[in-house]
Amino acid sequence: MTPTRTTFEGLAPWEVAVWYALVVISTAVLMWGIGRLLLKYRHGWRSRLSSRQLARGVARAALSVFSHDKLRRRQRLAGTGHLLIFYGFLTLFIGTVILAFQDDFARPILHFEFWRGNFYLVYSLLLDVFGAGLIAGVAVMAVTRGVLKPARLNYKRVDLGEAKFDRSRYVVGDWLLVGALLYLTVTGFLLEALRIAETNPSFEVWSPVGWSLAQALRGAGISGAAASDAHLAVWWLHAVIALAFVAAIPFTKAVHMLASPANLAVGNERAGKELPRPAAATRPGQVGYAHITDLSWQHLVSLDACTKCGRCHDACPATAAGYPLSPRDLILDLREAAEGSIGIRAALGIPPRYKEDAPLLGEVVRPETVWSCTQCMACVSVCPVGIEHVPIINQLRRRLVEQNEMDATLQKTLEAIHTNGNSFGEPRRKRPRWTRELPFAVKDIRQQPADLLWFVGDFASFDPRNQRVNRALARVLQTAGADFGILHDAERTAGCDVRRAGEEGLWASLAEQNIATISACEFKRIFSSDPHGYHTLKNEYPELGGRWTVIHHSELLLELLESGRLRPVKRLGYRVTYHDPCMLGRYNGVYDQPRRVLEALGVELVEMPRNRSNSFCCGAGGGRIWMKELRPEGVRRPSEQRIDEAIALGGIDYFVVACPKDVAMYEDAIKTSGHQGKIQLRELSELVLETLDLPLDSTAETGKEAS
Amino acid sequence: MRVLVIAEHLRGQVRDVTYELIAAGHLLGGPVLVAAIGSEPAALDLTRVGVDEIVHVPVAGPDFESDVYQQVLAALIADRRPDVILVGFTVNSIGYAPAVATKLKLGFASDVFALRQEGETIIATRAFYGSKVHAEIDFPGPGPVILMLRPTVWPLAAPGGAPKVTEMRVSLTASRARHVQFAEPPKADVDIGSADFLLSIGRGIGEKEKIALFEGLAEKMGATLAVSRPLVDAGWMPSSRQVGQSGRTVKPKVYLALGISGAVQHLAGMKASGTIIAINKDPEAAIFDAAHYGAVADLFEVARELEKLY
Amino acid sequence: MKLVVCVKLVKILGDEVEFKPDGMDVDPDYLEAALNEWDACALEEALLIRERLGAAEVVAVTAGASGSEEALRRCLAMGADRAIRVESTAEDPLSTARELVAAVTPESPDLVLCGVQSSDSVQGSTGTALSELLGLPCVAVVKKLEWAGSGPATAHRELEGGLIDIVEVDTPAVLTIQTGINQPRYATLRAIKVAEQQEIVVIRGPSDGPPAYRIRRMFAPPKGHGAQMLEGGPDEIAKQIAGIIRERLK
Repeated sequence: MTPTRTTFEGLAPWEVAVWYALVVISTAVLMWGIGRLLLKYRHGWRSRLSSRQLARGVARAALSVFSHDKLRRRQRLAGTGHLLIFYGFLTLFIGTVILAFQDDFARPILHFEFWRGNFYLVYSLLLDVFGAGLIAGVAVMAVTRGVLKPARLNYKRVDLGEAKFDRSRYVVGDWLLVGALLYLTVTGFLLEALRIAETNPSFEVWSPVGWSLAQALRGAGISGAAASDAHLAVWWLHAVIALAFVAAIPFTKAVHMLASPANLAVGNERAGKELPRPAAATRPGQVGYAHITDLSWQHLVSLDACTKCGRCHDACPATAAGYPLSPRDLILDLREAAEGSIGIRAALGIPPRYKEDAPLLGEVVRPETVWSCTQCMACVSVCPVGIEHVPIINQLRRRLVEQNEMDATLQKTLEAIHTNGNSFGEPRRKRPRWTRELPFAVKDIRQQPADLLWFVGDFASFDPRNQRVNRALARVLQTAGADFGILHDAERTAGCDVRRAGEEGLWASLAEQNIATISACEFKRIFSSDPHGYHTLKNEYPELGGRWTVIHHSELLLELLESGRLRPVKRLGYRVTYHDPCMLGRYNGVYDQPRRVLEALGVELVEMPRNRSNSFCCGAGGGRIWMKELRPEGVRRPSEQRIDEAIALGGIDYFVVACPKDVAMYEDAIKTSGHQGKIQLRELSELVLETLDLPLDSTAETGKEAS
Repeated sequence: MRVLVIAEHLRGQVRDVTYELIAAGHLLGGPVLVAAIGSEPAALDLTRVGVDEIVHVPVAGPDFESDVYQQVLAALIADRRPDVILVGFTVNSIGYAPAVATKLKLGFASDVFALRQEGETIIATRAFYGSKVHAEIDFPGPGPVILMLRPTVWPLAAPGGAPKVTEMRVSLTASRARHVQFAEPPKADVDIGSADFLLSIGRGIGEKEKIALFEGLAEKMGATLAVSRPLVDAGWMPSSRQVGQSGRTVKPKVYLALGISGAVQHLAGMKASGTIIAINKDPEAAIFDAAHYGAVADLFEVARELEKLY
Repeated sequence: MKLVVCVKLVKILGDEVEFKPDGMDVDPDYLEAALNEWDACALEEALLIRERLGAAEVVAVTAGASGSEEALRRCLAMGADRAIRVESTAEDPLSTARELVAAVTPESPDLVLCGVQSSDSVQGSTGTALSELLGLPCVAVVKKLEWAGSGPATAHRELEGGLIDIVEVDTPAVLTIQTGINQPRYATLRAIKVAEQQEIVVIRGPSDGPPAYRIRRMFAPPKGHGAQMLEGGPDEIAKQIAGIIRERLK
């Protein structure tokens, strides 16, 4: 007998007709839902997406989806579970398409039948195996949600304090999806088993699961007509739910099957790293995201892509420190607003409703939530479906700045930056003063050409602890014979955090000034010891005309060590750990260079549990270092939590950093966390200086290292 | 050098700055004429060494009104023809002295903290650029000069002397700006003016939430917490706690200043303190000139250490 | 309804100073400039009055060289409707008031708001001098202002020590505004850039009349005896301080 089976076996023609009618209805509902979603996205700001960008996006999305790399990262169990579900569903879906293709097209129109013989056998095997995988995957999800109950899935709101919130709708939706998938796969196998049990053709052993179940059924006495009747009943139970499932996709959590890959394809791969300039046609005062329709259409898509997996919630340092921000809840709140004003819920009149022109800030999202973010990109980096929390928050901040709804301290700092060109409010002339204690003069690169232009940065120039780091770096470079110069008092704040705090105009103004100053100098490359300055000079200044080669000082130090221009004299036997700065690591992928520098110094590097792209932000970024504390009593600051993490490694001599804000934050955290005396901080340059057997600082402060 | 001093008083009490003006006028040689403008000028205690004559100018209301003082001063200048008019650089005086100088096209300077003479020429010293530089100025015009002197610089004239007392009546037009009533600042739980030991905090503490830290420290150390102006302007603390020219003038045995830069207006309120100890991150902070002891350090670190000792 | 606000671009000196060769002023290289803090409060108060009353024209006025237009740009960016600069080199408050009057009188304002003092010369006198030239009553050092838009206004003056003197003043009037009355709003760079496109009317002042004083020489203040500096880490400093306190409180 040729391996195959008849579809619709046992169904009367009118039943087949009903089936096709249901298919049409189900498809119509699905199409309406998808159409309504597309209509929702059209309400958004029509940002440009070139076909080239789209093509690259599709390729990126395909790679991400098929490899499941982001899903499996840091959540092995859930990632594998989803992998099984994905490939299972995909296989079964393709299987159905193949069947439909033969039944509705190939056979009647082309008079061609291929679903038989070896093809059928392989088909059956694959579908059974992947179907079983699907069940296993769903079981993993069910156990995770129902038994393991990790914190990221408990939907607790961190931004509402004691206020009541009800998220049972989300929980019901989650379990419905899990339940539906389980139901469909189980009834699917049951269907298969009943069908096989009727006549038990031997080739059906190629459907191992169905075959085994069928034997069990036959063993229980169910075969022949009994099996056939049961089969028919189960068939309808399966078919109707299957069609309902498909129709319900746009209205349920299952929408992520469409929205998530779509979001990966249309998203901006430079999201957060290069913030967008304001759209040219903005009406005066219409800056940033004020209403839901201000969101770009891509951002509206991303709101639907969220599956509430909670990875961003887990990774966020603000959430960990009890700030009123959870990236997940921000996205979900925006989604509710979108759905309630321009989405499917609005179209169907289902509450809660929002007005299309309702102000986001105040009604949907609280300003404190938006201000809590450090713009560290942990959320964007870990999100498996490519949601861009950071640029969305940045656009909301632009609106808050425009409306003057910000901390008095932030306002004062921005005003100081505008007046004095630095965030410390110090006179411009004071900027190069840190060089005075050096035994040599640092070149003024405005007057003399040099190989390297050193963009020093505010913190490094004005903060006493960081001035020592600067001097260490200067002495190292001098010893290596590097030809470098600084801009002296013509340097202005690079503006990275000004931009991320939402004052786009001030960033542009600073950039223009710096670009003009730098362009008048003669040099080959720029390096910065400040990852914030490094980031914006390298990635964001080109858009305004500043195009140079920009590197971080860790890359420069590595070059000097590897080329032999810096020769370690003393081998440092310390046991150290290294904290990846957000702006250097996650933003720019510079993970290895500082590590190779440490290797060359001979220290023993013990990795922080959260390292590289999973590094935990010190809490200073995004302008937060200029804002007031939002942390509730009793919760450890992000920087204190990080020091706890380092202490737990045991026996660490030095906590090594490569960013001036980290220097300031962690020196403070070591004291306030109660670990003073157990660990000390060193900046990379200071260790390099030590390895050259030069004293750490020629000023009378060597005794104060630990304090 | 005929000197006219306009007495400043509040609710029947002569303010200290008046006695300083008398001392300054006396140093210029005199004669010194003090004008007492009020509803009961005789009740004001102006019998001080250096005063040659007291002129009572009775007016309708007991309290300051700028139009009244403007008109009286103009009348006094016309009648008594002084060479120099001395008033305090105070909230009340800036409401009328510049107007009179403008009207009569006189020489004028405010916030003067030093005076000297070269013959008949008066040379005054005042500060510029936020008190960072000083300048000597003189007054080329022919007529009299109005000088607003900085309070707490000159000594208080001692009680004594036997000045002549006269009266002058001035007919006044109705005041366009009328005193209605006084309002007390919110009742202070403590009177920083009577404390022996003040712990004073300034802008250096950074944010409002940090105040609690220092309240706790002050309590532990047995000090009363005081603040500089910026914290009151920001609404973090009541003005009853403010030390400075526009706040309270204090003279405790110990004044511990944390995170205060030492603006001239603040110094005016506390420089007479017995022992001034200042902590500031900035080695160039002006407070280190006025303090007896100082340390360039992080005020939070020092505060933490102090807390351990108490 | 018109509110005129007089503002000044103040010069800020850092901790180092060099003087011009003639010794009469500071080398401008050492100066930075910004809108006077008190004047920002005055402008903010005018904007708040406008918001409360529903409609009013807010005009910002300054007397100075072209560089002082930076102060007017900030005012426009904060929300002022118009700005006027009087071309002037006046330095002392009485001369400055004479220059300002050329711009203020034609406006026939309902209220004129000035800052109590400028942070650089701290004269505290320009507003009062201006009131005399305008023939208007003056209330100085206003901490709180209540006004219905016509008739007398109620001003709270903050006296030394915190006592409040409540004054009723006939309008039009000149008021000098004290810091702490409000929190001046932030002017975004975007708004400042828009303000740069706005026209600022420039008029010539009378440039007559004698200055109130003449500078003979300017010099760096003599450094005081200075504090005895304590050395060591925070713990040592704290110990020393505790010792001193104990000694002095005996």
